[in-house]
Amino acid sequence: MAVQQLRKSAGARWKIERRPDVSTGRQFVAILLALGVSFVVSAVLIAVAGASVGRAAVAALHGAFGDLRAIAETLLQATPILFTGLAVTVAFRARLFSIGAEGQFFAGAMGAVWVCMLVGDRLPSAVLIPLVVVAGLVGGGIWGAIPGLLKAKYDASEIIVTVMLNFVIFFFLAFLLGDAWRDPSSFYYQTPRMPAAAQFPELIPGMRLHWGFVLALACAAMVYVFLWKTAWGYEIRAVGINAEAARYKGISIPKVTVVAMAVSGAIAGLAGASEVPGLHQRLVLDLSSGFGFTGIIIAMLGRLHPLGVVPAAILFGASVTGISAMQIAVNVPVAINQAIQGVILIFLLMADVLVRYRVRRTNPRV
Amino acid sequence: MAANAPSSRPHQEILLKVENITKRYPLVLANDNISFEIRRGEICSLLGENGAGKSTLAEILCGACRPDSGTISFGGKPTAFASPRDAIAAGVGMVHQHFTLVPTLSAVENIFIGTKSTGILLDLKPTTRRLEELCAAYEVELDLHAKVSQLSVDKQQWVEILKALFGGIQLLILDEPTAALTPQESRKLYANLQKMRSEGLSIICITHKLEEVIDASDRVIVLRNGKLVDAIETAATNKEALARMMVGRDVMFRVDNKRKEPGEALLEVDDLTAYNDRGHAALRGVSFTVRRGEVLAVAGVSGNGQKELFDVLVGVRQAAGGRIALDRKDITNRPTTFSRGHGIGSIPADRIHQGLVMDFRVDENLILGRHWDSRFTRWSFLSQGKIAAFAETMIRDYEIVPPSASQAVRALSGGNLQKVIIARELSQEPKCLLVNQPTRGLDVGATEYAHRRLLQERDRGAGILLISEDLAEILSLATRIAVIFRGQIVGMMDGGEASIDEIGLLMAGIHRGAPRRLQ
Repeated sequence: MAVQQLRKSAGARWKIERRPDVSTGRQFVAILLALGVSFVVSAVLIAVAGASVGRAAVAALHGAFGDLRAIAETLLQATPILFTGLAVTVAFRARLFSIGAEGQFFAGAMGAVWVCMLVGDRLPSAVLIPLVVVAGLVGGGIWGAIPGLLKAKYDASEIIVTVMLNFVIFFFLAFLLGDAWRDPSSFYYQTPRMPAAAQFPELIPGMRLHWGFVLALACAAMVYVFLWKTAWGYEIRAVGINAEAARYKGISIPKVTVVAMAVSGAIAGLAGASEVPGLHQRLVLDLSSGFGFTGIIIAMLGRLHPLGVVPAAILFGASVTGISAMQIAVNVPVAINQAIQGVILIFLLMADVLVRYRVRRTNPRV
Repeated sequence: MAANAPSSRPHQEILLKVENITKRYPLVLANDNISFEIRRGEICSLLGENGAGKSTLAEILCGACRPDSGTISFGGKPTAFASPRDAIAAGVGMVHQHFTLVPTLSAVENIFIGTKSTGILLDLKPTTRRLEELCAAYEVELDLHAKVSQLSVDKQQWVEILKALFGGIQLLILDEPTAALTPQESRKLYANLQKMRSEGLSIICITHKLEEVIDASDRVIVLRNGKLVDAIETAATNKEALARMMVGRDVMFRVDNKRKEPGEALLEVDDLTAYNDRGHAALRGVSFTVRRGEVLAVAGVSGNGQKELFDVLVGVRQAAGGRIALDRKDITNRPTTFSRGHGIGSIPADRIHQGLVMDFRVDENLILGRHWDSRFTRWSFLSQGKIAAFAETMIRDYEIVPPSASQAVRALSGGNLQKVIIARELSQEPKCLLVNQPTRGLDVGATEYAHRRLLQERDRGAGILLISEDLAEILSLATRIAVIFRGQIVGMMDGGEASIDEIGLLMAGIHRGAPRRLQ
């Protein structure tokens, strides 16, 4: 009641409505603005923590883009979330709200490691690396196809099934690391190192950035071709936009569901098959810092398009490296890292909404 | 419709005055400097093709959207409605084409929540009493306590009207009020509207049905391309003149329909049964035969099994029993891809939801369902060049506007959306064409176009099953007419001899004498 009276006395109302057209330029400006605002909020956080904001900003910028090593580190951080962002893109394009990239990431990593365990010591790099990549694709693909099949056959919610399968694969991995796959020479729950022949070469000598990043970029190009240049992708997009019309024209929704989920899973699996041979060289339980879930945000920020997902992933990678550099330089609490990352994401997502909708004040009496 | 339209009006007082209203959307100028007046106690038709700006104007009048410029004065006072609630408070009620009722609530409850600001306790008694009076005054039988979902369409519409009247309005706006009614129900509606008019209510009917305009309204406002063409007394005009104003050129009302002798049996449906989405029997033993070179029209009030019949024939719904044969080959419950491969084309009732992928481009929509054909796809890769060339041809042959293959279909008008579907389906030269409501919501020009194309297909030798709720359409196209009622064919007659009254009664489930059965 009070609110209504307030409205009446003000003589105005607020209305949220969709903007009729949104230009690319405006979207770009919105992203810059969001970054600007989140920097301001972050500055407040840093100041409250008692550090110099100026020094923090310089350190963050330098940490993310300051030199070749910083850039390489940023791209390294971007690699897994670029894969998972692309994976989510494929599923969401079919209007399948898969939350399973996290589990599929592990499935892919496990496929890659398993292949090494079976044949790793006998094969040269030229054969083993492609084999590892394929094993990642297959592992993730299977873990993605399962919820697809359940959805197609029994109309089981892909959201629930993928979330549950994340737990299943994680605890299965925990079981393997504690038992059959455990490195007998180590105190930790981890597999033995991969054979050197399976490891991805460095992209720039002496830096951690590996060929997995190139693979991710190639994957982005392939996802674009798949979705927009093939009949498969055509079906996925048609079903995602209007499943009813697709069905009336003979497109099999169950088939598209399984294909989209399997492809999405395979791409997420590739993330695992790039992180392990590219960086960690062994399976550990904390292999992922939520890459599968971050992938959802990356995909949304990138507007479910590879051309958007690539910069979104790199931006996110930069925020990771920049913030940790800053944290070391000005000695603020570790928690600030995640707080700032969260602030950036919230403002970016808000900008996304504000660019598509507007709030308007209307006067009942002109 | 009830006659005596241009009767002597009791009032000449101006109720609503619209001056220089302009509303621009990003792609179109929906209302361009429109000015007119509505008097107290008159029925005024708002006539225009799709996209002429009728809906925008109605939305402005009922407060759902605001004009960019221009003024409105209502009852002598300048007003600008910020929301439908403001408009209702001022005395403007709107009945939308798609009803805004809560199906699980009763009529009384719907009206109550729609109009009253409720206290803690719900006291429906005074509302009920007032509504009973209104129903009695207009001789409408309505169970006020039945759930809205159990009411027939005309009764639901009456609930919407009651909801508007209940607020104590001076101006009632109805959007396409007869779209889902039988001829008899439409007559009843207009009789009641005239009664309301004689009590001093002003009424605006948005329509594109010229017969209704002529029969039932006092004045007509004609819009074309967002501009007001004319506002004239109905008595001073006629159907042809109105159509010319609306379309901007002469219009043929009856497509030239020279009926030829049909060929052999093509699509045979025998004792077909099927369930609707809620699991109730929707088709209860439907049998008919479509022959080559004929249009078999299925007439009926919406919701009597037409949707299910179409769906089963297209292959997106399972038949529970019975048999469908095409060229004597059993195709019952075969998937859609199968029937397409065997020469069945289909034009679904709902262009936007069943016919097209609205965010796809024109060329993408033109190959929907044929995207695996070797003509368009090699090794799974879409052959962009061939698709573009095909789309160019289709756009030219079927006069799709704007002529751009890379345009998203979302930007197209209703008539052009339908042209995209027609182009897609007819370009395959189907043996058999299943058509559901091909001209619903289309303007005169686009309707004429669709009818001409369908008859061309018939003359080519295709067998056409036409499901329609528009009797004028059925009478002008059908070789034979089947009437469907509660999932059964209750009458079958020759298209040349059928009368609108006879069909109307069968549609309402009333058999006057034995219906003539030709087959």
